[in-house]
Amino acid sequence: MSVPLLTEPAAATIPLAPGEIRLEHACRTFDVRADAAGTLRGLVSRRRSEGPERIPALVDVNLRIRPGETVGIIGRNGAGKTSTLKVLAGIIPLHSGRADCGGRVVSLLELAAGFSRDFSGRENIYLQGALYGFGQAAIDARMAEIVAFSELGHFIDVPIRTYSQGMLLRLGFAIAVHLDADVMLIDEVLAVGDEGFQRKCLTRIASRITAGATLVLVSHDLRSIERACARVIVLDHGHVVFDGEVADGLARYRALVRDEEEAAGT
Amino acid sequence: MLSYRFLFTQLVRRELRQKYKGSALGILWYLVNPLVMMGAYTLMFGAILKVARVPDYPLFLMVGLSVWTFFQTSLTAAADSLILQGSLVRKARFPREAIPAATVTVQLVTLAAVLLPVALITLVIRGSWTPWLVLVPVFIVCLYGFVLGLALAVSVLHAYFRDVLPIIQAGLLPLFFLTPIYFETSKFSFVHRHPWVGTVLNWVNPIAPFLEGLRAIIYGGSGPGLGRILYGLVAAAVSLTVGRILFDRLQGELAVVL
Repeated sequence: MSVPLLTEPAAATIPLAPGEIRLEHACRTFDVRADAAGTLRGLVSRRRSEGPERIPALVDVNLRIRPGETVGIIGRNGAGKTSTLKVLAGIIPLHSGRADCGGRVVSLLELAAGFSRDFSGRENIYLQGALYGFGQAAIDARMAEIVAFSELGHFIDVPIRTYSQGMLLRLGFAIAVHLDADVMLIDEVLAVGDEGFQRKCLTRIASRITAGATLVLVSHDLRSIERACARVIVLDHGHVVFDGEVADGLARYRALVRDEEEAAGT
Repeated sequence: MLSYRFLFTQLVRRELRQKYKGSALGILWYLVNPLVMMGAYTLMFGAILKVARVPDYPLFLMVGLSVWTFFQTSLTAAADSLILQGSLVRKARFPREAIPAATVTVQLVTLAAVLLPVALITLVIRGSWTPWLVLVPVFIVCLYGFVLGLALAVSVLHAYFRDVLPIIQAGLLPLFFLTPIYFETSKFSFVHRHPWVGTVLNWVNPIAPFLEGLRAIIYGGSGPGLGRILYGLVAAAVSLTVGRILFDRLQGELAVVL
């Protein structure tokens, strides 16, 4: 791992409206070394030639998403879907180009991210709210609603290490949809919940979207993309290979998968 | 930045609670550990080795020990802090320096919990009440700034190079024995013969001026010396600037390496 000495990209020239998303010539690669953390040894003996090549996750990606849009990102494994979400969430920086989101960005990328196991559900609500810059009063005002939405009942005051995956998902979702997000970034996780909870989430997300929020959903579950999204982007090897109507996008994705299977078959 | 104040207080409160949660003595452990240390050092250095012929030796020790413990524990805890809180870093975009800063602040609370009773007892027993006491908060603030700057650097460096914490631990042990915690440099005849050794012990060791300044005020009832005040201010400013720059430059990839 080389030491990145990147400076923050300069402030946006044109201010974005809340819910607006813009990627311009976005490029990002990843090292795929086994010991990602790196040691001093790696710094001392810096022989680039020995290491495996860098994997491109985003290659000159240009995207514009208007407030209120619902966008599904699909693609095969390693196509750059999750990287796109992480870049939009501001969690990882680009190597070149720029990425901007207008307003408050709330993400559900990994189920366990942002939770600390030894603390109760309620304490974790405070922590996650704080991570997004909310103060105590603002979180208190939403607490009852979040607890009710999560359907956790008295489990809300129990350390979350005792939670099942489903409970963790419900808590994560309940927090995410109550933080007045302008941009919601959701990766896969929706599929973990049961049918009833999924429907409840979609209803809640739909009401946020009517209020002008934007949804970007990454999933392999094409049905949830069909249900939640009006626009589909197909990524392949870090490139946008399709951007448009859902039905056409799904067809394009299926063709990609079929080609891959055929290539593997011969 | 202001909107993340609640995040910072959350991090500090959580860590404080988690530290001694579920232990029988709870917060009292803050005092037990230094007291046990003090007992051992008094026995060893005061009674057996007799390296220091200073009156009220346990009090002399305690002032230095509490400052040293703050320095040592802050650095080692900060080194791990980003790794331990990796799940937060991967969740959202927030000022990540809040994490090592919270760790150092928790140690500051511990320092206050130890130094406050120690100082009061010292002042009563030694009658060292002087107007110089107003400089104690100045020294503490400088010490906090100095350690915070180091903690920022150490935490982000250790996230990339996991050799950093072992190196620090290896360095802190010898540094402890070179730090005027259990001795007073000027009391050694060796130092009188070779004055440069005293200069090195008192000024090259970055923590020594803080420690001796605070001890001069609390234990000695005298002025800390202009040199030590200036040292404290400059060391804090330099450490914070360098730590901040290093953190800003390296923090971008944290979600990838953690």
